[in-house]
Amino acid sequence: MTAEALDPLIHVPARLQIMAALATLPDGDQLSFKRLQDMIELTPGNLITHLRKLEEAGYLTTSKTGSGPASRTSVALTNDGRHALEIYATTLRGLLNGVSAVPAASGSHLDRHGAIPG
Amino acid sequence: MEPREAARLLAQTQADARRSLDFRAPWVSLVAAVVALAGFGIVWLNVRNQHPFTGPSPASLVFFYALIALRIATVIFAYTRARTGISGDSVEVQRHEAAAMGAALLVWYVLLIAIASSAHHSTGFYWSLGLNGTLIALAAIWAGRSAIHKTWPQVALAAAVALIAAVGAIAGPRGMWLVNGVGLCVLLLADAAIGTWRRRGTQTHTVRTGA
Repeated sequence: MTAEALDPLIHVPARLQIMAALATLPDGDQLSFKRLQDMIELTPGNLITHLRKLEEAGYLTTSKTGSGPASRTSVALTNDGRHALEIYATTLRGLLNGVSAVPAASGSHLDRHGAIPG
Repeated sequence: MEPREAARLLAQTQADARRSLDFRAPWVSLVAAVVALAGFGIVWLNVRNQHPFTGPSPASLVFFYALIALRIATVIFAYTRARTGISGDSVEVQRHEAAAMGAALLVWYVLLIAIASSAHHSTGFYWSLGLNGTLIALAAIWAGRSAIHKTWPQVALAAAVALIAAVGAIAGPRGMWLVNGVGLCVLLLADAAIGTWRRRGTQTHTVRTGA
């Protein structure tokens, strides 16, 4: 297995951070654009570009409430996005087990917090 | 991006996000420990030589309630900061939980008033009922809420608070201030230490999987 087996849409530092941060939220919750930006420290333009790509792939949804300066954009991971991140993490662990002495995973999915089980 | 770097980034981002979204930070427990020790301690110093027990002085009570207000303010600050920007189902659930917990506390106080009014008791009885009763009620409500969410460490913490309050009730109107002050302080310091240890464990996990 090579790094090419990893989902290319997620395998970009900024998008991986977006997906990882959103995966820590419970199902049914959304995060505001501003809070997400603060958490992963991207410029607004950069964040919008990556969010758009992930949204086009169906990995996340964005919703806007209000209008004008009071408007608020919220972002949430979709079920497909959560599943894609699980597959990504599983593949990543497989790759690491193949290339180094990193301890083996005890399961094939993310733990309940969405982290790679170790 | 190398797989090892991706694993490090994934684990680090999730650890940072969880820390950022959790209002139960070790510093909140640390402040609570200091508040418990100072608040209960000052009242204990005030009442320990009272024979018979007549109750804490107004000055010590002002100090006590000011510290309680400080504790509430730190929790509100930490909660607001952690939950900023989050919307959705969990926010709605938490609103319902807050309403249910408020109602349960109200029912408990009605029950306490009924007990207090049932017969004439000593001043110490009323203070013990009010203080230890409140702590036990808060602990029971929090334990119930935590059990529903299956957050077992919080259930254990709440049970320990109830146990300390029960021991406080046995210790009497003077001793209960000392028991609750020292007991809660030790418990909250332990909670802060465990929280810090867990956070460090997450960092170690990050390094182990990704560095």
